[in-house]
Amino acid sequence: MAVYKIMILEDDPVIRTELKNMLCGNGYDAAAVSDFSETITEVKKQAPHLILLDIKLPGTDGFSLCSEIRTFSDVPIVFVTSSNTDMDELNSIMLGGDAYITKPYNRAILLAKIASLLKRAYSAGHQDVLPYQNTCLHLESGRLEFNGQQIDLTKNELKILYYLYKNAGKICPRNDLIDFLWDNQLYVDDNALSVNVNRIRDKLASIGLHDFIKTRHRQGYFI
Amino acid sequence: MNGKLYWKQKLPLLLLNGAGMAALTVFLLLNGINRDSLILILSVWGAVLAACLAGTYFHRKSQMDKLLNLADQLEERYLLPEVMERPARADDQVFYRLLKLSGKSMLEQVSEANREQADYREYIEQWIHEIKTPITAMKLICENHKTEFSSDLLVELEQINRYTEQALFYARSEHPEKDYLVREIRLFDAVHRAIAENRYLLRQYNVQIVLTETDDCVYSDEKWLCFILNQIIVNAVKYRAESPRIRFFAEQSGNEVSLCIADNGVGITDSDLPRIFEKGFTGENGRSASQAATGIGLYLCRRLCDKLGIGLSAASDEETIFRLSFHINDLIRQVQG
Repeated sequence: MAVYKIMILEDDPVIRTELKNMLCGNGYDAAAVSDFSETITEVKKQAPHLILLDIKLPGTDGFSLCSEIRTFSDVPIVFVTSSNTDMDELNSIMLGGDAYITKPYNRAILLAKIASLLKRAYSAGHQDVLPYQNTCLHLESGRLEFNGQQIDLTKNELKILYYLYKNAGKICPRNDLIDFLWDNQLYVDDNALSVNVNRIRDKLASIGLHDFIKTRHRQGYFI
Repeated sequence: MNGKLYWKQKLPLLLLNGAGMAALTVFLLLNGINRDSLILILSVWGAVLAACLAGTYFHRKSQMDKLLNLADQLEERYLLPEVMERPARADDQVFYRLLKLSGKSMLEQVSEANREQADYREYIEQWIHEIKTPITAMKLICENHKTEFSSDLLVELEQINRYTEQALFYARSEHPEKDYLVREIRLFDAVHRAIAENRYLLRQYNVQIVLTETDDCVYSDEKWLCFILNQIIVNAVKYRAESPRIRFFAEQSGNEVSLCIADNGVGITDSDLPRIFEKGFTGENGRSASQAATGIGLYLCRRLCDKLGIGLSAASDEETIFRLSFHINDLIRQVQG
């Protein structure tokens, strides 16, 4: 899968760095601009797949940058700003922004918006099958395949398995897993997670896949 | 105009005239006038005096009644000096001038106060936007560098953000129409957003979230709706009981769709229930729990709901249920085809 490059146009240096860390930690390639006098040239040079644009920038503002970028590119633009008046939101949409997110960002919402915009804009490179050993997780149809046999998964089970597949071979701490699930609108607590995992194990056992999800006591799950 | 008082104040004039009549009678009698002529002279005096007095009384009375009427009709009474005619009498003119002077100085004071308030509100909004930058930075740092403290810090950050939002919405609740963006929103999208904004708080207390998701859509402002949901969620956590649980579900009835938020917390007593939306009301729970209730949250909810045309009600039985009812406007759907 191609790595998407995301460009961060944000004047606060701490937020810039942390945003960059967060995006890199989530499998994106992030580039930040710190000198705003040559922003447009920089955008042209880097040709990012998506731009995170703050409205208030030194010497200029996000709105005019956005309309300028739109003259030569259709790259998805996400406005991120601390001012949450509806006028600003309306403006950003009118000028060709694709999404509008207010500070303090909700990590989950920001990542979800980025993912869905990227998927919409560059769906060709999208990967919807995750293989691991001799199993295959089909994201679109919500199924797991093993030895030619398939089982249907519920939306929630798919979310849990998705995380385990993405981190295959590594131990996934329960807390991280729960965090990920909350990010994806599945609000489980510790007990509910165990219940869900056991249900998945039963399903897997029905197609002869035993001991696929392993528990590391007091640490978490892993495959 | 008080007639009795008016005539009481005319008493010296009447007495003076009486004395004048008596003096004239004595003078004329000493000069040997006959009785008939004397009576004629005195009655002419009396008649002229009575006509004069009655005339001025009714004239004044109608003048004053007109002014009172005018004042009654005016919505902004302090504008009376601007509207009334300039009086003709010299002494009235003095009062007219005084009225104008005091009115003017009051108007100056009022507009000064208004301007100061608007400035202050603008400053508050500005400040809130600025404080969000460090809040965002701290949040990102905590999320990117997980330590044993970061989740505790995130709970506190959520709290800080909630308080700043509350201040912002309080400042804006006066004129929310300046900040509306009404559009079709999926009710449960707003619920997801509100849960996400309180996730660290909810996780800290192990609150179980039960969603019965539907695809109901309403026309409203998502930002304001989320703020209202936030307040209700925070209250549910604040007044939680053992193994806290919050349920979200939607109900349709007639041309209304309601979003219900039910929690299994300590509940609200019947005596407190009618007053929970009042400003500054804390109730038994607010006072007894170690939580310092400010009595602002639900008051703001009610105020915003009123302005947004959302019905807001609460009931407390086995569960405490807050119900937000939205009017379904078929007209919009028809227009959109």
